[in-house]
Formats: sequence, C-alpha cells, structure tokens
Amino acid sequence: MKGLLKRWSFWCLLVLAALALFGTRLFDALPEAEVAAPFSKPLWLDRSLPPTMDLELSGGHPAAELDWVFGAPSRFSLRVETALPAPSRFVEWTIPGGKTFRLTPLNRGVELDGRDIAFKRSLGLPPFGDASSALFPERGTYRIGLSGEGEWEGSVKIRLEGGRWGLLGTDQRGRDIAALFVAGIRVSLLVGIFATLLATFLGTSLGLAAGYRGGWTDAVIMRAVDLLLSIPLLPILMALAALWGKGLWQLILILSVFSWMGTARTVRALTLTLRDAQYIEDLRGLGAPAGYILRRHLLPETLPVLLATMTLGVPGAILSEAGLSFLGLSDPRVISWGRMLHEAQSFGAFTAGAWWMLLPPGLGIALLCLVFLDLGKYLEERVDPRLRGGNVL
Amino acid sequence: MIDIRNLSVTYGRMTSEGRGSQAAAVKNVSMTIRKGQFSALAGESGSGKSTVLMAIPGLLPPGTAVSGEILLDGKNLLALPENELNRIRWRRIAIVPQGAMNSFTPVLTVGRHVEEVLSVHLGLSRKEALDRITPLFALAGLDGELARRYPHELSGGQKQRAAIALALACSPDYLLCDEPTTALDVITQRGIIVTLKNLVDEKGLGLLLISHDLPLAASVADRLHILKDGELAEEGDPAEITARPRNPHTRALVKALLDLEEGS
Amino acid sequence: MTTLLDIRNLSAVFPGRRRREPVRALSGLTLTLERGESLSVIGESGSGKTTLMRCILGHVPPSEGSITLFGQDTASADGEQMTALRRRCAMVSQDPYGSLPPTLTVLGAAMEPWLLVRGKHAAKEGEERARNLLGELGLRDEAILSSRVRLSLSGGQRQRVAIARALILDPELLLCDEPTSMQDASTRGEIIEILAKRQRSGMSMIFVTHDLFLARKAAPRGMVLHRGTMVEEGLCRDILSAPKHPYTRALVAALPRLGQTACVSRQHP
Repeated sequence: MKGLLKRWSFWCLLVLAALALFGTRLFDALPEAEVAAPFSKPLWLDRSLPPTMDLELSGGHPAAELDWVFGAPSRFSLRVETALPAPSRFVEWTIPGGKTFRLTPLNRGVELDGRDIAFKRSLGLPPFGDASSALFPERGTYRIGLSGEGEWEGSVKIRLEGGRWGLLGTDQRGRDIAALFVAGIRVSLLVGIFATLLATFLGTSLGLAAGYRGGWTDAVIMRAVDLLLSIPLLPILMALAALWGKGLWQLILILSVFSWMGTARTVRALTLTLRDAQYIEDLRGLGAPAGYILRRHLLPETLPVLLATMTLGVPGAILSEAGLSFLGLSDPRVISWGRMLHEAQSFGAFTAGAWWMLLPPGLGIALLCLVFLDLGKYLEERVDPRLRGGNVL
Repeated sequence: MIDIRNLSVTYGRMTSEGRGSQAAAVKNVSMTIRKGQFSALAGESGSGKSTVLMAIPGLLPPGTAVSGEILLDGKNLLALPENELNRIRWRRIAIVPQGAMNSFTPVLTVGRHVEEVLSVHLGLSRKEALDRITPLFALAGLDGELARRYPHELSGGQKQRAAIALALACSPDYLLCDEPTTALDVITQRGIIVTLKNLVDEKGLGLLLISHDLPLAASVADRLHILKDGELAEEGDPAEITARPRNPHTRALVKALLDLEEGS
Repeated sequence: MTTLLDIRNLSAVFPGRRRREPVRALSGLTLTLERGESLSVIGESGSGKTTLMRCILGHVPPSEGSITLFGQDTASADGEQMTALRRRCAMVSQDPYGSLPPTLTVLGAAMEPWLLVRGKHAAKEGEERARNLLGELGLRDEAILSSRVRLSLSGGQRQRVAIARALILDPELLLCDEPTSMQDASTRGEIIEILAKRQRSGMSMIFVTHDLFLARKAAPRGMVLHRGTMVEEGLCRDILSAPKHPYTRALVAALPRLGQTACVSRQHP
C-alpha cells in the first residue's frame, strides 16, 4: 500500500476529511450565519467594490480612520452598546474635506441603519435619499470618532456592507460560501461513504448466498436484482423522498437499497467460479460447514475486488445525493453542495451573475468524485496486476 | 548456423511505482544451432531455457537488458532493427512457442491460420496459399482434410502439429520449439518428436528443442545442452553426457533418472 | 476386515451436454485393495483416473457396479457416514494450483484439515505436525511457511504443500494423481520415499501416473487404465518388461529413457 502515499487523491482525501472534521473552526461564525450583503463577490474579484467591514470604537479606542478608495458601501449600520449612556458625547463622522456629521449620542441601545428615514433626515437627506452615498461622497480619508473627553465604558460597532466578502463571496442570504463549502464536505463524504458501505454489505451477502447455495436462493436473488436494476434511479428516489421525508439517513438508506445490485452480481460470479475449486470440494468432503467455507475462503477471495468496486461506487452515491439535493429533495436544514446549487439556481444566482455561488460546489463535487475514481483505479491495479501496464512475465 | 555468443539476459520489472527488482535469467550462454542437426536445450523450470529461445528472434519484452551476440550468417540479430528482424522471422527462423497449441484464434480454421501467414509473409494469393496447405500439413504429420477444422475440434496432438505446420509455412531454415510435447500424453509425445526428427533428417532444418524432460531431449538430440540457473551446465553428445556427466548437478540428475529406469 | 477398498464392475457415465453423446468415463472396473496394500494406476488424461478417484470418495455416484470403502457401500451411505469415510482418506489432485486455498499461509494450508476435524483446541498439536511434515518435504524456511499460498510459490512447492495437507490427518488411504509432476527429476525420488515410509507404517496408496518407471517405484502392483477400462494388470515390473495389451505396448515403447539415447530415428516411427 505504499503506492497509496504517492497518489494525489490520497492526500486530497485526507485534506478534505480534515476539513470536514475541523474546517468549521477556521471561520468565526456558523456557516448559516449572515455575514455580509447577499451576493457579495469574493474579495479578490472586483477591487473597485468596497469590502464589507466592521469597525469598533470604545472608550479606550475612540477613533478610527479609513482610507477609502471605493465607491459608497451598500449599507451603513451602527450600534451602540453600553451600560452607562453618555448623552453629551456623540459619534462623529468626518468626510474628506473636513465636514463632520453627528450621527448619534452615546445612548443605550441605539441602532442606526442607513435605510432608516429618521437617520436620513438627521443627515439632512430627503426620505428617498441614499445615506451611504451621503456619508461616502468621494475617495479619501474618513474619520469616525467619539466627541468629547472622559471615561466611557461601552462600544460602538459600525458595519459597512460592501460588495465583497471572504474567499468565495456570499450567497443570496449573505452566508459565507467558503464556510458553506467546507460544511458541505461532510454531507458528501458521509452520504458517499455510508451509502456505498451499506450497498456493498448488502451486495456481498446476497451475492455470496446466491452463488454458493444456488437453486431457489440464487433464482430469487437474481430476479430481485433484475427488478431493481430496471427501475430508474432518480425518479424512484424522488418518489421515495416525497413519501418518506427528506432526512439524510433516509437518503443513505434509499441510495444503498438501489445500488447493491452490481456488487451482488460480481460477487456471485466470483463465488460460482471459486465454489468448484478442488480445495473447496475437499473441505466440503471433510465436513466443513458452509459458513466456514464462506467466511474463511470465499469472502477473503472477494475482498480485493470489493475494495476496488466500493471505492468506485462512492462517486455514484455522491452524484445521486447532489442530484437529489439540486432538485430540492433534500433536508433544507442540512448544508450540502447539491443544496447550495439548488439555492443558487432557485434564488437567482444566474440573474445576479453570482457565478461564485455555483462554481465552488460544482467543482467540489467533481473533485471528490475524481479523488475516489483515482483511488479506485489504484486499488483495481493492485488487485489485477495486468492493469498496471507493466511486465507480466 | 545460429551462433549464440555470451548471451546474458536480465529482465527489468516495471510497475506503476517504478522499477522493481531485476533478475538475471540467462548468464553468459554460448551455443550453436546447425542446419541438419537436432539440438536440445534441457533444464528445470526457471532455468532460462525459454529466455534463450525468445532472444533469438528478438521477442523479449521491452525493457529487457540483453548483452552478447546472436549471429546468423555473420549478422548480429540482437543489433538488427525491427524491420529487418521481421524479414527473418517466419522466413529464416520460425518458432513454436510454449502453449502454441492453445494460442489459435478460435474463430478461424487452422487452414485459415496458415493462409494468413502465407499471405502476410510471402504475399501469396488465396489460391496459391491453399495449394501449399496439404503438403505443409503432411510435413507435420497431419491429414490435409484437417485444415478445414476449427482449433477446438482438434485433439491436443493435432493442434500441436498444426502449430508446427504453421511454423513451417515459409520454409524456414531453423525451427525453434519450446516445450512442444508438454501436456500431451506419452504416445502422442513420441509421435511429435519423431516428426520433428524427420524434419531435421529429411529437410535439413536446424532444430532447437526446449524441454524440461531430460530423457526426452536426450533420446532424440544430436547435441544436448543443459541449463541450470541461467548458466550452461553441460553440453555435448547425449550418450556422452549420460555416461560421463561433468557437472555435479547433472551427475545427480542422471543418477536419479537412471536409478528410476533401472528399478533400483 | 482387511479389505480396504472393494470395487466391483464400476461404471460411470456422464450425460452428454447439448447434442453430444454421453461420456463413459469408466466401464466395468474391478479392483480390490487390502489394508496396507498399494496400487499404481497407469493412465493419462482421458483415461478415467480422476473419475475413479472421485467415485471412491463418493463425489460421483456410480452408474453401475459398487464401491465398498472401509466395509461401507458408498452408494447407500448418507452424508454423515460419507464424511466419516472421507476423513480416513486423502487426495492429492493433479493440479496443485486449484488444490490449495489461496488465502491461507503455507502453514495454515497444511494445518487446515487437522483443525477442521480435530477442532480448534488441537491447534498446537496440529501446527507441530504441519511443521514436521513440511520440513520432511523440504519446506523449512520460516519465510515460506508464513507466506500466503497465492503468492510466489512455485508449482513444485505447491505440490509439496498439497502432499503435507493430505498427510496431516494420517490417512488410511491416500489417492494421488501425478503428485511429483512438477518436481525436478532429481527430487522426485525423495517424495516417493516419503510416501513409502508411510506405506511401511500401514498406509494404503493409489498412485496415478503415466510414467511406468515412477509407478514401479511407488507400488509393486499396477493397473493400466485406458479410456475408462482396465486393459492390463499385474506387477509393474512385469508390465514394463513384457506388456501384453497393444496400448500398454505402445506406452512402454514411447517412454523416453535416458539409458537409451538416440533411440528415436527414422527407423522407429
């Protein structure tokens, strides 16, 4: 298995698994939290747009300066948190050129939002004016500070919502896409691996039983295989999801019930050839029970093939889950890449031109599938030396 | 004659992870195969006999390290480019590889196999090829009628003879046979060996027989070579070798075989 | 009761598949084996030798005639009785590649019949027996003993392991089919000697081979099997020196002999 360490897919999988387990700690907020304006572009995309910024003023830190090189932010909001109000002191906003606005006294529980008409009037704007443009008329250095002197306990939190945020921007609800992406790895890996594990277990047991016992057992199982194979997967999944509910474990169960057939056929074929080996006949003649033969000899012989088939089956499960989620048939509370694509499509990512909502989950699905395909190819090569492309003498 | 001088062959093992261990299959072997002479190369499995045979028409796998010379009419076969080797194969040197009798295409009659060889290597038309089949089969001890049969319809011995006929299609000067009698019953074996001997005596072919069965090789060869672990352990007249083996391994082998035959 | 094996007029016919004729694998075979006695069966592929062995072990029911093994008629024995009979026999089949379980180690493969019959608690004794047997057969290297059968064992080594596997339960009757075919000529005699040792301790053996010299060394009595019928029987050395049946004569004449080199020439087709 040393060759495994040389495979890019192995390391990629380790990284993804690590992200799935610990990745959410990289972010300050929960993935579902709203962090910025909806459809914000990634930070590196359009540098002319202002990024979403948070500023904080406090007693010990009463002023801050901004070198503003962008257009006006889309939203301006301010909040005062204090136990001791100081009504004689104000939050002052100085624009380049020197003009100063008084925004609010330091009273308890003050919340200003650039869209409030009262706030606009306090700035001297008509009711439908734009507070942000008034506050940010041009490029230059801006200053925000607390007027007056003296001790004051409390903080002023200012939020400037721009058009940019984070590594991958935000979705229609202002959630950080990078955080959602990392959270989505979990579901894809979970569904992919568990559904395939379950399907492999089912397929192996039934394949061994059919191949070894033959007769009626074989006939019944094979007809079941034929039946299930003739049912188209996605429509039946949709129907079952509608009937049964959209939970994650229901999905895993349904996916495994509809993907064990290939493994069963392969295992059955293998069992049929092995069953007639001389040593098996000798063991049976000596009185070895069927369970012993299956457990000790037939199952270990099928394992190498199983490992490879299993790994190659994971992309199928991932794609099925993604497909179902995209169609909206998954649990809305669960973050998954397919769900992200669904929301992107339903909530107008196309019209908004927010391609950064579509590309990460799509590429993520493709990447995960490629990882498992490469791993599966490696395992297949190990099982069958002929596929290695080397000397077989 | 085919003059093999100081032939050494080392197989390289390539895996997807890079080169594996290397095994020297043949070490410094020299021997000659003369026309009109029946030469045999005997040895245990893994001694390198098949490697020597495959080296002659240049059929070793790519990546194999070969050193030494194999001279045919003064030309070193190991140094010849592929297109020139192709003109020598079948026409001057023909081989019956190991398991040839199981390597027929199941969907063609054995006659069609021969036709194909004749048309590809000698450019003969279908009619011309058909005329050659019956005498060719007769050379190999087969009835011409059998050309219309499919491989699975022939017995093991018949298939082996068909493989010999195939090899003889272009009237080569030298015939190299690798274990042509293994997996056949004793009586059929004898028949094939007699056929091969007749080819040498009547047609003046230079024949090399590879076998792990020392008594078989000794019973028919004019010149016997014994290979052990890739090296030439013994060579000479079979009766000489049996009576006075020089190599200790051969001595033990001959003793064991003679004891068995004499029933002691 | 000293008659180990009593076969009377045995015939085995396999039904023809599709449009083919039924195959008569054995016809009218009669032979008797006493306890401690051995027999060489001289036959090649197609002679019915494999069918004979499978009939003796009860894997193939006789179409005609009867087989009495250890005093019990195999046709009327039920599953349990048959298993009990088989546990007193052992078989070494011609193909060493199919007769060993690929998933076990060499040691494990040799021990398996013992563990199956004696139970897990006898494992220690079984391992000791297996090691002794394999050592006797020339397989002592620990690396080989613990390697998996599926990998890197040569045909000759596999045959030896198969023989160890057959001998571990101390069978009263050993059936072997060309058990030395993959051995080097110089070591064939060793294996026969190992079998002879057990024959001297009372084991009966049916030794199938095409090589009359080997047959003579394995057992004094022999029987020539050709296309399902017994064409000649007697002492092996008599069969060799004075064969009567045309098939036997052709066989003896075709045997390559080191002691008579250059005997193939145009005069003797």
